[in-house]
Amino acid sequence: MIPQVINLWIPRLLVSSKGKQMGTTTGFRREEGTSFASLELKTINPILAEMAVLKQQPTLFNGDTVDRVDVNGEPSESESEPESESEDEDVKLSEPSKTSINNKDGLLEKLADISWPENVEWVHKLSIDIDQEQAVDVNDDLARELAFYTQALEGTRQAFEKLQSMGLPFLRPPDYYAEMVKTDAHMEKVKGRLLVEKKKIEEAEERRKARDAKKIAKEVQSQKLKERAKQKKEDIESVKKWRKQRQQSGFAGGDKDGEMPFSFDDGKVFERSNKKRPGVAPGDRSGGKAGFRGGKAGFRGGMGKKGGDKMRKDREHKNSKFGFGGRKGLKKQNTSETTNDLRGYNKGNTGNRKRKR
Amino acid sequence: MGKKRKHSELTVTESKKKDEIASERPKRTLMGWKDKVGEKETDSPVFRNKEKVLVTCSRRIIYRYRHLMLNVVSLLPHCKKDNKVESKESKGAALNELVELKNCSSCLFFECRKQKDLYLWMAKCPNGPSVKFLVNAVHTMEELKLTGNHLKGSRPILTFSSNFDRDPHWKLLKELILQIFGTPKEHRKSKPYHDNVFVFSIVDDHIWFRNYQINVPHNETDKVDRGGLDKMTLVEVGPRFCLNPIKMFGGSFGGPTLYENPFYISPNQIRALEKRKKAGKYAKKVKAKTRRKMHELSNPLEPDEFADLWKE
Repeated sequence: MIPQVINLWIPRLLVSSKGKQMGTTTGFRREEGTSFASLELKTINPILAEMAVLKQQPTLFNGDTVDRVDVNGEPSESESEPESESEDEDVKLSEPSKTSINNKDGLLEKLADISWPENVEWVHKLSIDIDQEQAVDVNDDLARELAFYTQALEGTRQAFEKLQSMGLPFLRPPDYYAEMVKTDAHMEKVKGRLLVEKKKIEEAEERRKARDAKKIAKEVQSQKLKERAKQKKEDIESVKKWRKQRQQSGFAGGDKDGEMPFSFDDGKVFERSNKKRPGVAPGDRSGGKAGFRGGKAGFRGGMGKKGGDKMRKDREHKNSKFGFGGRKGLKKQNTSETTNDLRGYNKGNTGNRKRKR
Repeated sequence: MGKKRKHSELTVTESKKKDEIASERPKRTLMGWKDKVGEKETDSPVFRNKEKVLVTCSRRIIYRYRHLMLNVVSLLPHCKKDNKVESKESKGAALNELVELKNCSSCLFFECRKQKDLYLWMAKCPNGPSVKFLVNAVHTMEELKLTGNHLKGSRPILTFSSNFDRDPHWKLLKELILQIFGTPKEHRKSKPYHDNVFVFSIVDDHIWFRNYQINVPHNETDKVDRGGLDKMTLVEVGPRFCLNPIKMFGGSFGGPTLYENPFYISPNQIRALEKRKKAGKYAKKVKAKTRRKMHELSNPLEPDEFADLWKE
């Protein structure tokens, strides 16, 4: 059933947005006893009132502190005496609240009138009384809701124990389908909202992780680059040193005896470089998009493309042809290494045979 | 002929005698055979909760409170929802008549004033006590943050906080709430399973209401899984509201006042006081200025040594 699916949400205590409304009214009520007194005086005549305030302040303070101590900061008025707002009775503001009616005997009489007979079984009432241990602060939403939740939990535990001892069925069987208090459509909406929230949380988590990972990756990358630069520098330095040594020693000894500047202890073997065109210096810029091969391919495949794409291709084409000093031309193709290089031949004779190998 | 009459008289007397003799046979009642000789007192008739609640509202009630009323109607299977009552009929007599007409034993009347404040009357009719509450902090079941759901008509478990037993007015309120919000046992619209719990607790002299759905792992209908009671979770279903008792009357919608809340200020008064507070801003400023002047006059400053320092 849908409700059970949704209950993956651990009872998160709901902070009600309207809880503050309650808070403000009570909050206002508390301060009201103290400020109302001063308000009343001052609205009459500023200077006179002010003199009066100066004189009466000691008594007012007394009255107020009495209020705070005795009546717990209760407000000044009750519904029964709305007329007691004259200035002289400021000190008596706590008293109207005490003159309210509380007819205990009458209440108990009425209680006896309406209550059910004594021997009614508990099954009819289904009521549990829970002890509220700590006084709950009304304005603290979380604590208040927690108190209600624990009261409910404790109550249901006790009730279920009683029901279980009675032996009657009280739990819903899984195949019991009946009308629920909220419609299925409504529960779908609830489910949708829960999923959206879950998704948001997950996305936020992922973003945070990605950010952290990026930071770490950046650090690692910078480390690597530094390492590489250092290594390169070292290699060049060592070659220079070796050359100097050789110069100094007057080129004595054969090459085999000479100390190899390159240390192969780190396991790097001299590998054939990835250059597909040996004999061409590294700074040579031929062979890009505008190279011999690139030009042919581009010419055939370049038809029928949209303007923007084509413009970009043109730009790239031009860049590789003329950028950074231009091409060096198809000068060095046939070198000692390439005479014995038969890589291209095995794949058959597809394509241009004049292609550079 | 004379003989016949005599005969009939005789038979009449005879039958009478027979009746007297016959009446000594044990009486047959619905509860079983009842011996005349050793007649025991039958137990008081089995208690049946025949509570019926009439739920109405006043006209010009706003949507939020109307939804609250509808939620309450869906929570109580033993209630009857009635049409809106005119403002003139929201006095005692008319409402009492209405309740009588609908053959109900109690009433929940939602009264909305100024399209801002909601008052709830809880009354036991015809001559029971009644209470007027001010309702705050309303959250209806339609809010998407209240995700629970339970059977419609299931009998709720009512939990009260222990401070309901402290004062007589709280005791009376507890009894009222128990009778109105507790679903009768064999009501025809009630479901036999218990899967929700009502919480009534007194915090800061207000009654707070919460409604939770019970989730407990179980495989059988009459036994919780071992250790399942510890794994029980509650999800809030709603609605939520907070009641501030204003007055309690001895009669239904009227009668002698039994209790008055000394800490209650009507929302109108609160609003008026807030406005007055704001209005006093300028007056306070003026007063502060004059006070400063007086203070300066009464405490003249000493002549400054360095006042003429930079004079040329």
